[in-house]
Amino acid sequence: MSKRFLWAALVGALAVTAIAGSSTAMTGKTDGSNAAQVLKMSIGSEPPSLDPGLATDTTSSNIILNIMDPLVKLGKPPALNAVPAAAASWKIRGAVVTLNLRKSVRWTNGQPVTAKDYVYGWLRTISPELGADYAYQFEGIKGAKEYTACDPKKADCNALRARVGVKAVGKYTLRVTLVSPQPWFIQQISHHSFLPQHKATIDRYGSKWTEPQNIVTNGPFKLASWKHDASITLVKNTKWRNAKSVKLIRVEHQIIVDATTAENAFSAKNIDVQTTGVASVNIPKWKKTRYWKTFKALGTYYYGFNTKNIPDANQRRAMAISIDRSQIVKYITKSGQIPAKGFTPIGIAGGPSILSQSTMPATAQLSKAKAALAKARNPKRSIRLYHNNAPNHVKIATAVQNFWKQLGLDVTIRPMEWKQYLQFLGPPPNADVDVYRLGWIYDFPDAYNGLVLWKCDSGNNNTNWCNRKFDSLIDKATRTPNTAKRIALYKQAENILTGPQGQLPIMPIYYYAFNMLQRENVKGFVENPTGQWDLAKVSIR
Amino acid sequence: MLKFIIRRVAWTIPVILLVIFMTFLMMRQIKGNPFQVTERAVNEATQRTLDRKFHLDQPWYIQYAYYVKGVFTANLGPSLVQRDRDVNDVIKDHFPVSLKLGGLAMLWAVLVGIPLGIIAALKQNTKLDYAVMAVVNAGYALPNFLIATVLIYLFAVKWREHTPFPTNGWGGWETWVLPAAALGHAPMTFFARIVRGSMLETLQQDYIRTAKAKGLRWRRVVGLHVLRNSLIPAVTAAAPLLGFLITGSFIVEFVFGIPGIGRYFVNSVTARDYSVTMGITILLSMIIIFANLLVDILYGYLDPRTRDVRT
Repeated sequence: MSKRFLWAALVGALAVTAIAGSSTAMTGKTDGSNAAQVLKMSIGSEPPSLDPGLATDTTSSNIILNIMDPLVKLGKPPALNAVPAAAASWKIRGAVVTLNLRKSVRWTNGQPVTAKDYVYGWLRTISPELGADYAYQFEGIKGAKEYTACDPKKADCNALRARVGVKAVGKYTLRVTLVSPQPWFIQQISHHSFLPQHKATIDRYGSKWTEPQNIVTNGPFKLASWKHDASITLVKNTKWRNAKSVKLIRVEHQIIVDATTAENAFSAKNIDVQTTGVASVNIPKWKKTRYWKTFKALGTYYYGFNTKNIPDANQRRAMAISIDRSQIVKYITKSGQIPAKGFTPIGIAGGPSILSQSTMPATAQLSKAKAALAKARNPKRSIRLYHNNAPNHVKIATAVQNFWKQLGLDVTIRPMEWKQYLQFLGPPPNADVDVYRLGWIYDFPDAYNGLVLWKCDSGNNNTNWCNRKFDSLIDKATRTPNTAKRIALYKQAENILTGPQGQLPIMPIYYYAFNMLQRENVKGFVENPTGQWDLAKVSIR
Repeated sequence: MLKFIIRRVAWTIPVILLVIFMTFLMMRQIKGNPFQVTERAVNEATQRTLDRKFHLDQPWYIQYAYYVKGVFTANLGPSLVQRDRDVNDVIKDHFPVSLKLGGLAMLWAVLVGIPLGIIAALKQNTKLDYAVMAVVNAGYALPNFLIATVLIYLFAVKWREHTPFPTNGWGGWETWVLPAAALGHAPMTFFARIVRGSMLETLQQDYIRTAKAKGLRWRRVVGLHVLRNSLIPAVTAAAPLLGFLITGSFIVEFVFGIPGIGRYFVNSVTARDYSVTMGITILLSMIIIFANLLVDILYGYLDPRTRDVRT
């Protein structure tokens, strides 16, 4: 073989490489005009799953809830009351909830959606075979926990399955038996975990049933294409029960992970709505434009104390009130966050009442803090503050380090990689942890969903703090259907956490906010406090 | 020669086994739960079910055996995190994109870098040479994410009315140009420098002087004698470079929002998606092994002395 031949081979190989490979994905270059009802938007990640049973994140949830018809939807904040959707009405008697389904709801293959589809879907989600992360959402249903925990090698799982409190009592009547009245259950079923699932499709295609050529759905939009990690296109489902009210005929989601890339795509008018996020340095610039939108979120960013290492509540109080929350949201997070008064978000139903006695100040109370620290017995002066490594967490930790320095505390900041960090925190946390950072985003709009974290046996309580009175208040709330009475219980519980005599196992810092960029011709695009948007209500002007 | 190739191919099997073993070991050492994505705790029953489902409750050597068996039966198993997809799907969907991006970047590097090197060498110590080398050296120092960002800002945002290039995505030819230029930039400067250097060396060889002395036209001397001999180092560098371009395009894929395999690779590590990490590691090691094999074979042809030593 001569050298010349080698050259030809190399060039040929390169050419083959260049031409090989299938062409994927659409791109967003358009003329920017959107006379037609087509929405182009960015989302911040590839949805890990479009299976209602397996999805756990908001990106997947927002696609799923727009191609599916949930039993109820959430109304206007702050109440976020349940509004009939696929369920026309419901009756609640103690711990039994009976839902009457609309007869007009149809699968995209034309079959009616019946109570059996819900029973099948819910039982599949909590089945030990599927291993769904969100099976825990169903723990309020009688027998669900036992069925999920069943080991097929050791027990008769079918018997346990038959005992789960979800039954089709008529073609269009679904009866759910809960372990206790759980007044929030009817709002909770707005979550994507509680959608129906089409058995024949799942049986036929297995784990591939969510691909666009296979999937059977029942919502206002249909999944037209899903190019993994590139784009997802939805088209209007003209046969949906309320199709007349839907304006958009197509929604093109571009999956753009990088904030700067998404900002560029928005600037170049390739997308009309940018939900990926904005790079921290660019927030002030975008805030000055009319494109910047902020929505309140139900979620709290907080620091937790390892109460074994910092056992005196006086010291915890000193640390909690010596930081300036308003400076943190103004100069670090910068995008619509609100200083936290207590752990429960102010925007939740009954929030102002629950938090009325909470004591977290917006601005630092240094002299009060010093006085509290003086009362503490053997205060720990050398503090190790752990957080997962991300730019804003570093900045906030550095600010807190400075605030606490004024109390005479010597703070060492220890950033960690996310998954190692989660494992490090336990519970119980590694003994080296004095203070840690975490956040909590609510799954359903009831203060219970957040307060339950601080029960003694909670898998999310990394503080080593345990208070029987607090536990009994939370347990009592699950049996209190009356809203006013329940809110009074939450207030007592919140006071044990952050009230004037509060134990402060945690120090809430701020309430989260959602941000996005929207072009002015987009109408009705709203992100609700649980992070959901309803594309059926969006139009292009 | 054939014996040499067969021997080299056979050697790849233990190398791959070692790669699986090392990756497996390292993945386990970094700890972290693949099934806990957010701070929300995974309840015990679910954790047990998932561990059982993905064999994570088995001793490590059984898990290792599962992987090895998977690799040799071309079934790399399901993703632990993207629950609707198999590792095979991930590779099938996203590897061709990275392959194409790497190939295009290589093409860019060769088509621009080699001529630049030739021009600089032929016009040594002129203003043209200095200009080319200044650009090349400056360019070599710039990281590709910076180049990518600048390219997007200029061609896809600022001058978007006059160019066909979008800011992101992967589809028609217009989406290929900017990412290929950004990724191909560093190897382009590499080619320019290496070609210039070896040309200057070749130009001083006795046989070039002889060729000139016997009255050959300068163009022919350069085309036939100088060029062919001075491109040898570039050719031998090309194969591993191509491997590097295919496997190392993570940042460019990220900035341009390209659905390539690099992003999956990095994300799978942070997500502790063991099977995906393993699958992609094996794939990428195979590419590197193959690229090195190609170089050795090329060396064998270009310089028979090395072949004799090895076989």
